Order: sequence, then structure tokens, then C-alpha cells
Amino acid sequence: MQSRILRPTLAIYTAAFLLFLYGPMIVLAILSFQSSDGGPQFPIRDWSIYWYQHLLGLTETSRVSQLPVGDSLLRSILLAFMTTVVSTILGVMSAEAFRTKFKGSGPAFYLIILGMMVPGVLVGLGMALLSNTLGIGRAWWGTSFVLHVVYTYPFAFLVMLAIFNRFDRSVEEASLSLGVSPAQTFRRVTFPIIFPGVLSAMLFSFTLSYDEFSRTLFTIGSQLTLPLAIYGTFSVEIYPNIFAFGVLTTLFSFTLLVIYGLLMKRFTAKAARFKGQEEN
Amino acid sequence: MLTLSRVSRRYGETTALDGVDFVVPENTYMSLLGASGSGKTTLLRLIAGFEEPDQGEISIDGERIDGQPPHLRDIGFVFQNFALFPHLTVAQNVSYGLRYRANAPVSNENEIKDRTESVLSLVGLSGFGHRAISAISGGQRQRVALARTMICEPRVILLDEPLGALDANLRARMCDELKAIRERLKVSFLHVTGSETEALTMGDKVAVLSGGKIVQSDAPDTLFSHPNNVDAARHLNAWNIFEAGLCGPAMGQGTVAVRFDQIDVSAEGEVPDGRPWLRAKYLTGEFNGPTALSFFRAEDGTLLQVIDHLSQPRLPDMVEGQHYDLHFAPDAARQFHGAA
Repeated sequence: MQSRILRPTLAIYTAAFLLFLYGPMIVLAILSFQSSDGGPQFPIRDWSIYWYQHLLGLTETSRVSQLPVGDSLLRSILLAFMTTVVSTILGVMSAEAFRTKFKGSGPAFYLIILGMMVPGVLVGLGMALLSNTLGIGRAWWGTSFVLHVVYTYPFAFLVMLAIFNRFDRSVEEASLSLGVSPAQTFRRVTFPIIFPGVLSAMLFSFTLSYDEFSRTLFTIGSQLTLPLAIYGTFSVEIYPNIFAFGVLTTLFSFTLLVIYGLLMKRFTAKAARFKGQEEN
Repeated sequence: MLTLSRVSRRYGETTALDGVDFVVPENTYMSLLGASGSGKTTLLRLIAGFEEPDQGEISIDGERIDGQPPHLRDIGFVFQNFALFPHLTVAQNVSYGLRYRANAPVSNENEIKDRTESVLSLVGLSGFGHRAISAISGGQRQRVALARTMICEPRVILLDEPLGALDANLRARMCDELKAIRERLKVSFLHVTGSETEALTMGDKVAVLSGGKIVQSDAPDTLFSHPNNVDAARHLNAWNIFEAGLCGPAMGQGTVAVRFDQIDVSAEGEVPDGRPWLRAKYLTGEFNGPTALSFFRAEDGTLLQVIDHLSQPRLPDMVEGQHYDLHFAPDAARQFHGAA
């Protein structure tokens, strides 16, 4: 009786949810195949890959200037990569520290978490003022990089905290009792076991940094990151080349996710074994 | 020889260990019997160095080891949940210590392989080296945990309820195997358990930990037949412990302990001459296979148990709720003075 109403309702809800989630992306993907004389809206005049060619600079000169994303794309990837490395290392180290209750661990926890709670605009503005006061030039590898770390580090930290929360300490003690030093124990036992968590922390840090906007806006200086560069093109006029670019970056993100999924699958197979051990 | 003197450990208000004096001799299988929460795991963790004592000294062959980091103590530890490395194979688990230890690691692959194989065959796991930890049974995991510890040839091996995670059949078999393995290795084992049968079966010596202290440490038969105090007697789960006053003035004062199997039952007023007795109400019986347990309630509420072996029945037919006289030979009773 209940499921006769509940199940269709939930099904419709789920369908609607998926539609709203993927609808914009689908529209964008369709419009990216607009012909050269078409605009960024329906109807599609003719199917073509003109805007993809335009994006890559393969077309004859046209009245629409090429999208200035090449450098900013590289910059964004590099920045996200740097952020990922630093945030993940910091996150793993501090989560490791929080496994033992140390003096002031409560306040320290909230201070770390604050980095993701404070509105980005405020932090960005504050950083801009601070760098002005101190006479430090704003740059994507400097001021922006610092804020990206401040923003993504709490996420990496929380992921690792959850991982360590269900980590069985006795395997580390077993390693110590076999005469293996704490550093080697971390390298040979702890790290391999928490590695799926580290992967998740890296994915979080990368995606958050890659499309960070508000913090970057105030601290970037003259060399823009990808989200800012794209935003900059909106102020002139929108052409379907942006959609084409959107499709390509989505594919790029999707590739990252697939790599993440494959790595996860490889390592959770081992995690399942670990679980089996506890059940005996 | 592992020696603990006046070792204490407190957690906030609660005292887990209160001045433990304890010796594990060379080449001995030592059982440590204690109820859950008696601090027996804490004791092992202090010896292994995972925790430090608040007071007291721990030493091996006269060399102090408390304060040293755990990986330099040269003490093996077998965990209750085995704590195998889930990301390594059986052989990698076993060779782990040899390969990566801080002191004298072995880098010669041939030597590692040979020693791994010989220790695996010692625990009866030849040919299992390539298996994943998930692909072996509980008893096999137990053996891998033991092999992994033994290959490093530690001075003492601590076993924290090593059979607790196994089913009853396997437990009985592992008991024998553990003993045999130890005799071949000639290293001391300190085996912690909550089960008196396990402690008595396994140990060359058995120590009883109660109230944060070692209350007795003796050979199993001595301990079983001559517990030195009420605490030790209570842990053996084979002694009725009651006030001497229940048997009338003849027994004097203090606490008396009589083994379950040394009490006889007769109808009221039919106690043979010269045997101390006390009156108690028959509650119920429990059939355990080769033995039967009968439960009685003494006048002051103490629960008494009498064990009867089916091959040699010596109890009369009893009716639940009736009173009977329980009697025993005067020399069967152990009398303790002072606080119960």
C-alpha cells in the first residue's frame, strides 16, 4: 500500500532531480554543435563541429575572436595541482596529529575548519588588502595559491579524519612490535591502508581549486585562471565556442573521475579484505 | 627473564594496575589469568611499550626496557584480532619484520624467502605464502600472526587472548599447537586469557591477576589444588567460597573454599561423623555432558556448586526447593583468614 504511492513518487522525484542536474549540461552540449552562423540559443541552424575547430584555432579568421583560455587553462590545472599536493599533505599530517588528543586540539580543529566556512569574497578581499598593505604583488601562484590551500585543506583534513576514525591502530602496533620504526610503519602499513582516503582528499582539493572563483577574483593579479577568463568573455558577447569549451572541460573532469574510480576500485578490493579479517 | 617490579598504571581515577610484581622465567609458557577489565591487556601493552607505566620498572635480563620505544624492545606481540596487514600476502606479512625492522634488517631475498618458508612450515602453513589475508581462515590467520612474530626471534612473545577469536574446536587444537611451537622455539610465551581452562591447559606456570595485582603465580596443578587466597580461588571457577561460620563453630572464623568436586550431599541430618557440613537449598541442576552441576543456596545467600561425574555418581536424587546437607572432608577445605 505504502510502496504503491511511495515508489512512484520517489521515482518521479529522482527523475526530476537528474533532469535538473544534467539538463543544463545537455543543453550546453547540444548547442556546442551549432553551425558557424548560429547563435548561443535554439534553434540549431545546422549541425557542425565549427565551434570546436574555432576553439582550437583551426578555422579561417572569423568575426568572433578566439576564446582566450589556453594559458588560463594551463594555469588553472597547475594551480589545482599545486593546491592538491599541499592540501593533501597538510590534511594527512594534521589528521594524523588529531588521532591523539593533544592540548588545544578543540580550538585547532575549528581554526582549520574555518577556512572552508568563511565566505570566499571576504577572504579574497581581506587577502587583497593585506597584500596591498604588505606590498606583495598579487599572483595566481602566490596570493591565490595560499587562499586555495586555505580553502581546500579543511576538506582534505575532514576526509582524512573520517578515514583515521575507522582505522584499526593495532596493525601499526603490530608493525612496531616487529621492530619496524614509526616512520617505516607509516610508509609500509599506514599509508597503503589509508590510500583510498588520500585519493578522495586529492580529488576534493583538485576540483575545488580548479573551479574556485570568489577567492581567486580578488587575489589573482593580471594572469587569470580559467573560471575568471571564461567569466571575462561573458562581458562581451556569448558565442557557442564557450559551450564547446564547456563540453571539453567536462570530458576532462570525467576522465579524472574515471581515473579516480579505477584507482579506488583497485584499493577497495584490499579494504574489503581488511573488513573480512575483522569478521573472521 | 622478564621482570616487572611495582608496576602501576592509572587512567584518570581508575587504577588498572596497582604495583604488579611479576616474573616470566626463561623458556616458559606463562599463562596470565584475569577477568575482563582486570588490566591484563594493559599489562601486556606496558611490556610491549605501547603504553608506559606510571610507576615501576620493567626489565629483560636485568636491562630496563620501560621508556624505550616499542620497536627497539625486541618483544613480540600477537593480537587478539591478529592485526595482519590487509594489503600484503601471507608471505609478505611474515617477512615484513625481517625486511623493514630498524635493527639488522635482512635484504638478501634468498634468505628472506628461506626463513619465511621455514617459519610457515613450522606453523603448518607451507604453500600458503602467496595467498591474500582475506583468502585464509581464522585459524590460519592466527598462525600467520604467530609466524610473523616468531620470524623476528623476539626475546619474549606476548599473546593477548590469542584464541578468543576462534571457535571452540579450533581453540582446542591451537592450544596444543601453540604449546608445541613454543617448545621448539625455546622462547618464553606470556599468554593472557580470561578462561581458566585455557590458562591451566597451556601454562607451565599460571599467574592470576586480580584487582590490579598478581595474587598468585604457580604451576597449574599447584594453583588449582592450593590457591593461596580467595581471589585466586575465585578465578579458577572450581571452588565454592563461603564463610566458615556457616559450618558451625567447628570451622572457626574466616573464609573457606572447597572444590566443586569435593563436596558430597546427603539428606538433612544424615552427615557422616567427622565431616564439616552446611545446610543449603537445592536450586537446580545443569547437565554438561560428562559432568553435571548442581546449584545450592546457603542460608546467607551464597551460591554453592557441586559437580558430579556421570561415571561415578555420588549425589542422591534431589528435589528442587528442598534443603540438604553439604559435607566435605576436613582436609578438602582451604581456609583463608582476613578479608574475603
